[in-house]
Amino acid sequence: MTLRFRRVKARWGSSLRLRLMFGSVVLAVLFMTALLPLLRSAFLIALEQTVEQRLAADAGALISAARTDDGKLTMPSKLPDEEFDIPDAKLLGFIYDREGNLIWRSRSSWGIAFDYLPQYDGGGNRLLRIYDSKGKDFYLYDVEVDLLRGESAAFSIVTLQPASDTKALYRGFTTQLYLWLGLALLLLLGLLWFGLTWGFRSLRGLRKELDEVESGNRERLSDKHPSELLRLTGSLNRLLDSERQQRERYRHSLDDLAHSLKTPLSVLQGVSEVIAAKPENREQTRILQDQIERMSQQIGYQLQRASLRKSGLIRHRVPLQQVVNNLCDALDKVYRDKQVTVQRQFDPWLEIPMERAALLELLGNLLENAYRLCLGQVRIRASIAQGICELCVEDDGPGVPVDQRERILRRGERLDAQHPGQGIGTAVVKDILESYEGELFVEESELGGAAFRIRI
Amino acid sequence: MKLLVVEDEALLRHHLYTRLGEQGHVVDAVANAEEALYRVDEYHHDLAIIDLGLPDISGLDLIRQLRSQDKTFPILILTARGNWQDKVEGLASGADDYVVKPFQFEELEARLNALLRRSSGFIQSTIAAGPLLLDLNRKQAQIDGTGMNLTAYEYRILEYLMRHQQQVVPKERLIEQLYPDDEERDPNVIEVLVGRLRRKLESTNGFKPIETVRGQGYLFTERCR
Repeated sequence: MTLRFRRVKARWGSSLRLRLMFGSVVLAVLFMTALLPLLRSAFLIALEQTVEQRLAADAGALISAARTDDGKLTMPSKLPDEEFDIPDAKLLGFIYDREGNLIWRSRSSWGIAFDYLPQYDGGGNRLLRIYDSKGKDFYLYDVEVDLLRGESAAFSIVTLQPASDTKALYRGFTTQLYLWLGLALLLLLGLLWFGLTWGFRSLRGLRKELDEVESGNRERLSDKHPSELLRLTGSLNRLLDSERQQRERYRHSLDDLAHSLKTPLSVLQGVSEVIAAKPENREQTRILQDQIERMSQQIGYQLQRASLRKSGLIRHRVPLQQVVNNLCDALDKVYRDKQVTVQRQFDPWLEIPMERAALLELLGNLLENAYRLCLGQVRIRASIAQGICELCVEDDGPGVPVDQRERILRRGERLDAQHPGQGIGTAVVKDILESYEGELFVEESELGGAAFRIRI
Repeated sequence: MKLLVVEDEALLRHHLYTRLGEQGHVVDAVANAEEALYRVDEYHHDLAIIDLGLPDISGLDLIRQLRSQDKTFPILILTARGNWQDKVEGLASGADDYVVKPFQFEELEARLNALLRRSSGFIQSTIAAGPLLLDLNRKQAQIDGTGMNLTAYEYRILEYLMRHQQQVVPKERLIEQLYPDDEERDPNVIEVLVGRLRRKLESTNGFKPIETVRGQGYLFTERCR
């Protein structure tokens, strides 16, 4: 349960749009929750005022119908408002004297008893809610009359109507209120989602451009972003440019370094070969050539390692087929006389999660070994399963004896001194793989030769 | 064979010039791409050795320019970095093989000879034409199994004509094979050398593979394999 909660929390926390949506929903619900009692009480006040006005008008009708004769109240047998005369009607009328004695009640109030004692205290009029003996709820309007048709009088005119009608009205209003507020909330959320989607479109555009930069399809971010993001994209562009320039400078420096170190070594190698022509110099020449070979290996190895550092910004995925084709075209040219057949056993769309230069170096070294040592067949197999990429280069050559498999992975180790090459190939492969947290295995191939298997 | 060496390091260039010359090649050794393009326009080369790290135009661009000018001779690249990016780019731009610096001269020579053999359509290190057998590694010729006593110049002419069998080879082309460009050239020397070569070939069993095409040059008529 806790884990599930954490996952949900992580998912919601990871999206700015979901965060904003969540915040807005909470705010909208809180706002409407606060608004609801205010609306209800405002409606209730308005409703009671309407009831009061109606009861006051009904009381006015009673007052206009009343007569006094020597201070004694008389009411006509038929009242102007017929509702007072209909038994069980909803409009009730009562008239009390100054002492609170009931001196008249309408026909409609027959059979209804409630406990109310009007107070003739000059307070004017008031609206109350009372219950009859059966527990029925009524609105009661009490108005004091001190003058009746020009004669002084003292009566309390009381009109009543059941509260049940207004209750139904109130319930209907509340239902409508909930319904409309709910719909308004949904509409608000819809508009909010649309607004956020529209507002975040620029962020999605930025994300798309960043994906393109990471995949190497774009060099820098465009300027077509909202002004709020331009500062960010400008900084990222400067960072990208600076990294690219640094990498280019670095590559050129390494090229220059390689050229300036290895060309003199070539001269030394040439001179040593000339000196070696004299028999008395052979021993010294051998030492000289060994040292040249050693220096050359060190320089080659260190330069290759230095040039294959991973880029921090760009997330590389290289199509394997393209790299294999490039390398095989090159090697087919070099080993044209051998007529090597290369079997490609992998999905043509397979992509390897490595930098192009690193994959080129890794496969170049393995494939050159295979081309050089094979009788005529090379096989490249590759697959990706559960996020792990497996790549295998095999040949039908002599293979690598079991006791020497570990040794050839070390720098400068060569088992084939009769073949050209600097003996750092497999060691470079291993180094590249270590930087990608991959592994290299030397095994026996079904073709009869060596199988170099890589897991990344 | 006439070779073009493009290497900016003077000592290495001199070393290649000397060692390749000792192997019987005529070498045009230049320091930059501009000079190389000029030489290629002026002379007919059989192979070029090009360093990738040249000062003016890069070795890769030079190779591209040569190929765009329909120069079909084999190109061997010398690379200091030795990384696969350079090798693949070099080979894709038109080079045929590469050697990583520093190199042993024997390795360079082996690759160079393989390219020369391949460019003239021969896979083996020997070329046979009827009773004649040419050993390209030992630079010796045999007729009916008996070694011929050829001078270095005679051997060069014979090898060049056999590599370009069934083609008319102008005298000027043969002169380029014998002398570096700055030496005095005399077409009569070629006539004398070819004459001597013919006599040596005919002396045993009347074998006459070299014909003169009047006003054009020489033709090696025997099919080589």
